[in-house]
Amino acid sequence: MKSSARILATFLAATLTAAAGSPPMDFYAAVAMTKAQKNSSTPTDSGLYRREADGRWVHFGPRILGIGSVAAQPGHPAVLLIASADGVVRSTDAGRTWRKTTGWEVLDVRSIAFDPLNPLQVYAATQWGPIRSDDAGANWTPAHAGLAKLYSQTVIADRTRSGRVLIGTEDGIYESADAARTWTRVATSPATTVLRLAQSGANGQLLLAGTQHRGAWLSRDGGLTWQQTDPASATANLYAAALNPHDAAVMAVGGWNAGVRVSNDGGATWTDRTAGLPVKHIFVLAFDPVTPGRLWASTFEEGTFYSDDLGRTWHEGGLYGAYGFDYIFIPAP
Amino acid sequence: MLTIHVKTRLCDVFFRLPMTPFRISALLIMAAATLVGAPADPAPLPLSLSNAEISRRFQERREDLIRSAIANLNPADLSKGSFLDVTAALQRGERPADALARLARLNEPAPTGNMFWVYPMAALLATAGDRLDAASQARIAELWRTYWPSRGDTENHWMLYYSGLYIAAQSRPGTGPEQWFNGRSAEENMAEARGYIEHWMRVTTAHGQGEYDSPNYIGEYVAPLSLLAGWAADPAFRLKARMMLDYVLYDYAIEQLNGQYAGAHSRVYPRQVLQPGRVTSSSIGWLAFGLGDRQPGAQALLLALSGYTPPPIIERIARAADRPYVNRELKRTRWRMRNAGPDAIRVGDRQTVPVYKYSYVDRDFILGSSQGGLLQPIQQQTWNLRWRVDQPLDASNTFFAVQPYSSPHEGTMFFGEAWDTVTDLIVRSKADYDSPDKLASGSPHEQVFQHGAALIGLYDLPPGTRFPHIITLFSRDLRNVVEDASGWIFAQGGPVYIAYRPLAPGEWKPNDWTGHLAGGAGGFISAGFKEWGTGHRCYVSGAPRNGYVVQVAPVRDFASYAAFQDAIRVLPLRTAVAPVAEVVFTSLDGSVLHAKYGATPAINGLPVDYGSWPLFESPSGSSARGSRKLDLRHGPERYQLDFESGTITQTVATP
Repeated sequence: MKSSARILATFLAATLTAAAGSPPMDFYAAVAMTKAQKNSSTPTDSGLYRREADGRWVHFGPRILGIGSVAAQPGHPAVLLIASADGVVRSTDAGRTWRKTTGWEVLDVRSIAFDPLNPLQVYAATQWGPIRSDDAGANWTPAHAGLAKLYSQTVIADRTRSGRVLIGTEDGIYESADAARTWTRVATSPATTVLRLAQSGANGQLLLAGTQHRGAWLSRDGGLTWQQTDPASATANLYAAALNPHDAAVMAVGGWNAGVRVSNDGGATWTDRTAGLPVKHIFVLAFDPVTPGRLWASTFEEGTFYSDDLGRTWHEGGLYGAYGFDYIFIPAP
Repeated sequence: MLTIHVKTRLCDVFFRLPMTPFRISALLIMAAATLVGAPADPAPLPLSLSNAEISRRFQERREDLIRSAIANLNPADLSKGSFLDVTAALQRGERPADALARLARLNEPAPTGNMFWVYPMAALLATAGDRLDAASQARIAELWRTYWPSRGDTENHWMLYYSGLYIAAQSRPGTGPEQWFNGRSAEENMAEARGYIEHWMRVTTAHGQGEYDSPNYIGEYVAPLSLLAGWAADPAFRLKARMMLDYVLYDYAIEQLNGQYAGAHSRVYPRQVLQPGRVTSSSIGWLAFGLGDRQPGAQALLLALSGYTPPPIIERIARAADRPYVNRELKRTRWRMRNAGPDAIRVGDRQTVPVYKYSYVDRDFILGSSQGGLLQPIQQQTWNLRWRVDQPLDASNTFFAVQPYSSPHEGTMFFGEAWDTVTDLIVRSKADYDSPDKLASGSPHEQVFQHGAALIGLYDLPPGTRFPHIITLFSRDLRNVVEDASGWIFAQGGPVYIAYRPLAPGEWKPNDWTGHLAGGAGGFISAGFKEWGTGHRCYVSGAPRNGYVVQVAPVRDFASYAAFQDAIRVLPLRTAVAPVAEVVFTSLDGSVLHAKYGATPAINGLPVDYGSWPLFESPSGSSARGSRKLDLRHGPERYQLDFESGTITQTVATP
């Protein structure tokens, strides 16, 4: 999904600086603590948690309900944008201070994607329609033109072509070639709600989508055409989709009652790798850009887990009780 | 009861008068009246509805609420008293030390109430900001800087949040971004807040209210509007807030029975379904118009503190004797995020569906309905019958039917949660949402149609329906329930006769929520359910194609219960359940009503014209769709609210 786009952007940045040594990366999880939510419409805690070197998760940034993700400006990691129910919240000093940069009209922001080739250009998927910023998130404008239905929760900025954006809506995948000023439906995408979009960091032509009731979909031509993949999960609600930035052939999807499913042959075959997890309900998956091959999985309320052998064995990673929305890797400022 | 209260006061005065010939004569007349068999409780003196008397009584009730709020503070127990109780004390300059001590406790540790912290804190700042001690001021300033209150996910949440933010920012002029949780200056916060509030006013007065006619959530609109009506510094904005209060209170007054909010409701909690008098709307109705029984309430207290006075014409309308009348209203559903459906319309970039409300308002009962369907995500009451009771607080004077429905389709229509978690997360605060026994629910398989005092409900439950049955509640307050050989079920609720004709047979089941609620889930319904949740009966039918006819009439119109039953039995009625449910019924007023599932209903052969449904239409008020105007009438009086120009026009016609 968009986390992949960010992983990709940050990975590229990391690659560029590799000569100077391995760049430090911060690992964030956007979650709501719902496990202990009783007699209440609000979770006991929510927001962004950052994983410390010792494995502890520490709350980061403002405590706002409904935080879906966070994004960092490529090349300027001190500029952070939080996607929240209250709108977009921006920091220009690595999280020391924050400012809401959207008005009352913007709500339920679920994901944010910077254009890796034009870091001033940002897109956000909201459940009431996408929005766009031309100044790195300081100001925003609606970006609805051409959309049949406005609901969206996942967006990626094509890392291979500036100004090209793909968004998952209630009506399938839409594409924009003009920085979200106009949208066109991708004809071969499934006519259902697209829950997660991801672009490969190893091969920009490779994209993966998780959908509601229609399973996993794969594109090998940069999102121009899509084909369903993994017949075993063909009717599942897949909330998670991830592509290994170190190996284009390796990918994973996960969903409700679908567990974790992985492919190491570019989507030709898929294998269930749920054994060892406490539940089969998966909301987020991400390949670690720092530790090649490591796969992170967020279960519904039963914690975060990671695997270094593509899901054959899993290790507890904390955040018990969390309902996860996204994993984000960002270069440390 | 206020009427008795006034009478008592006059008698007290009378008996304190000197013993004059006039007084002696009067006493003799009173004694004679009693002796010759006049009612032991003579007819109450008519309540004066003059402007002066209405105003005087309102001020008395207002004072009563404020005084009792201040009395809630207890220096020996600093756990007692709300933010608004503190505000009341500081506004009056009474017991400031107690108030400040309680305030310090309330703000420690950091708040968790989100918008429910914002609006009383704003009221406190606006009312008594200059009476706070240095410690309180510092703590409040720190909280505005560090505590990020969510604005929530409903329109009432947003109104509470933005009205509070507006007044709080106004109360802290010139404060910069670094002094606010969201990094925006006081002026920026005021502009954002005003933008939303004016948007809500525009949409409501043009397309109808989203959380319409809720006995519970009316308070969450009265409170923010009171805040603005009381303390917005901009006179034009303050006037608009007062006008919206007039609007919301009229909306209540035109559809209430002795203070009880009746008709179709957008949102109502289980206890409120069964004890419809014990709700926020009743506390507001008592304060604003003296209707029903006295009930304190936070929202009513804020209304009292604000200085707002309802225009007297609304109390005159509320107490009007010229019932019955028909009241039609146009509302809208909560904004539909997805799964909006073919019936959705767009208002800006939001989608909604019109709600067509119809109420028949008699002096002894109100039968009110909406068209059915998914009009709200939870807590919808599509129709109900309410009859007059003298002590409405604990009465269960209600009759209605429901098809209990829950689904991820419905949940994701209105909420941002995932398909697989939305029902679970709703149930964590609304325990009954996913229960087969629930008593408030929208249903996509339901169509309701009403004309006068007759109502037809039709159902078409597809295979796989989660709770494939219809529940009709026969409350414990109903008397003389008779299952007649004709197929009609007759009942009497106070001064009202009820005739209910199911299209398919059902069975009687007790309505006992004890087991359902044994886990205590649901903050609003975790206690006391034995008092209100038992003793009722439900008529439950599992027929997939089904429906019912309801005809009600005041007892006063018939010589006897038997006469009513005779009149019902001879009414022409044709019903079918295949291929779909269908009814042709000639009601007591002679109208031929034709309803067929999936088709537009007809009255005397003419289809109901939903396209021209007004925002308001009754003998007392009218508002055309999209007009942004509301025209109230009572006798020669007119009171016109024009939200476009922000003006009120009052006229009295001369003969």
